Amino acid sequence: MSQPTFIPKLREFIFQELIFVASPDQFSDDNDLLEAGLDSMGIMRLVMFIEDEFGVTLPDTEIEPKNIKSFHALKAWIEKHKN
Amino acid sequence: MTNLISGFLDQSSKQPEHIALIEGQKQLSYKELAARGTSIASFLSRQAEGNQRIVILLERGINAAAAILACLHSGFCYIPLDINNPAERLNYIIEDADVLFVIGQGNRPNWLNTHHTWLDLDSVKATDDTANPSKQVNPESLASILYTSGSTGNPKGVALSHRAISNFTKWAAETFQITVNDNIASLSPFYFDLSTFDLFTSLSQGATVNFIPKKLTLSPSKLTEWLSENNITTWYTVPSLLSFIALKGSLETIQLPKLRTIMFAGEVFPTPQLIKLTKLLPEVDFYNLYGPTETNVCCYWPVNKQCLDNNIPIPIGIPACSSTLIITPETGELQVKSKNNLSGYWQKGQLTSIIEDYYNTGDKVSINSNGEYCYHGRLDRMLKCSGFRVEPAEIERVINNHPGVEQCVVIGITDPTSGQRPAAAIILNQGAELSEINLFIRQKLPAYMRPCKYIPMETIPCLTNGKIDYLAIEKAFA
Repeated sequence: MSQPTFIPKLREFIFQELIFVASPDQFSDDNDLLEAGLDSMGIMRLVMFIEDEFGVTLPDTEIEPKNIKSFHALKAWIEKHKN
Repeated sequence: MTNLISGFLDQSSKQPEHIALIEGQKQLSYKELAARGTSIASFLSRQAEGNQRIVILLERGINAAAAILACLHSGFCYIPLDINNPAERLNYIIEDADVLFVIGQGNRPNWLNTHHTWLDLDSVKATDDTANPSKQVNPESLASILYTSGSTGNPKGVALSHRAISNFTKWAAETFQITVNDNIASLSPFYFDLSTFDLFTSLSQGATVNFIPKKLTLSPSKLTEWLSENNITTWYTVPSLLSFIALKGSLETIQLPKLRTIMFAGEVFPTPQLIKLTKLLPEVDFYNLYGPTETNVCCYWPVNKQCLDNNIPIPIGIPACSSTLIITPETGELQVKSKNNLSGYWQKGQLTSIIEDYYNTGDKVSINSNGEYCYHGRLDRMLKCSGFRVEPAEIERVINNHPGVEQCVVIGITDPTSGQRPAAAIILNQGAELSEINLFIRQKLPAYMRPCKYIPMETIPCLTNGKIDYLAIEKAFA
C-alpha cells in the first residue's frame, strides 16, 4: 500500500532538523543523503522520528546506509515494515 | 625514558611477534610496526634534525600510526590533520604550524601551497636501518600540536610536550589496567585527543589496537557485531556514538563477553542513555573522563551504576593524572594544574608559553555532597559537537566574510539524544541567497562545524545594553 505522506514528512524533518540543504526543492528523492551530511547522530534521530511518526518498528540490524541513503530508500524501508 | 614512544620500543623488543595494529585484513606485529617506523624515521632523520614539525595527512589507520611513531622516534613533532577538511583550512594550519613536511599518500594534492614539501609515504622504502631514537628529545620537547576551533576566528594549535602526553598515557595504563591481553577498539581520528590513549597507552602496554572501519558508525548493529567478533576488551569513545549503540545497537541479542571497559569523553553523556547502556552491558566498567585538549584528562568518574538517576547529569568526578583542581569563587570556573597541561598555543611558527600554572577551562563546575566535581556548562559560547570543540566565533568569521552577509550569529541548539549542533541566525544583504552561502561554507569549514539550521533575520536581537541577545536567538530556533 502506498503511503504518499512518507516522503513529504521525511523531507520536512530531515531538512529542518538534520541537514541543511540550500534548495530543498532541487534535492531529488534519489539524491544521496549521506553525502549531503546525514551522519550517525542524524541517523539515530531519524530512525526515532520514523518510529514515532509512522508507528513502525525498524529492526536495529537494518539501520545501514543502503536503507537510509535517499528518500526513496527510506520510503521503501518504511513500507516494508508498515504492514 | 623521555620519549613518548619508549614504551612501544620496549614492547617491540619484549614481544616482537605480538600483533600491534589491525586495520581490516591488514595487521602488523610489534616487530613489523617498529621496522616500518624505523624506515620512515631514518628517512626523516636524513632530511633534517628533529625539533621541527611534520603534518600527518593520512586516514586513521596503520600508515598514519607508523608515520606518527616515526616522527616521534626522530624527535619531530607531529601535527595530525583531517584529510577531509576544506583545502583553505588545511593550508591555513600548515602555514601557521610552519612545518618541514606534509606526509601523505600518493600524489601531491593540487590544493597544497607550493612552498610546502610533500612526502609520499609509499615512496619510503623498507630499509634495514636501525635508527636510534633521537637524543634531542627532552620531556619538554613538543610531541604534537592538536589544532582545535579558535575563539578568535581561526583554528589554534594546542602544543603538547612528551611530558604532557606521557603523563596521561601512563595514568590511563595504570587506571584501566591495560595489558598485553587487551584488544583496544580505535575510532577517534588522530587529530582528536582521545587517540593518544588508543595509540600510546595501548602500544606502551603491548596491547593490540584494532581500527574500527569508519562506515560502521552508520550501522550500529554491525558495529556491535564487529566489537564482538574482534574480541574487543576496551574502548574509549564519545557518548553520542555510545548512545546510538545503546538505543539501536542490537545489544539485546549480540553478546560482548570480552568487553570489560568503556571510557567516554568529549561531551555530556545523557543519563537515560547511559543507564540503558549499563543495563545492557552489566559486566562492563564505565568511566566518564573529562578535560579539554589543553589539559587532556584531568578529572574522571568511575560510573557508579547504582546511583544513576535519569534526571541528574553524571558527575565529572575526581582529579585524574595527579591534577590539582580549583574553582574560581566568583565565576565557578574550573582551573587545572597538571603535568598533562599544554606547553602553550602555537602561533605563526612560535610557541606562546602558558606562564600561569593553572589552565582556565571556561567550564562552570561545582562539587557535590560526595566530593565529586559536576559540570554545569560553559562560561563562554563554546559548543561541543560530537565531541569536537566548536567556537561559534570561528563559524561567524567565515560566514561574515561572505559578501552577501551583513551579519551572522552562531548559537548551539541542543538535542536530547545527540548533543549540540551549530545553527546560524543571519542577515542577508539584498539579492544574496542562502544557497551561495552554504556552498561557500562547505569550502571553508569541516562538516561538524557547518550550521545544521539557518534563520534569516531582519535584525539581530539585542539586550538593552546593546549586547547580542543569544537567548532570544535560541528561542527563534526552538
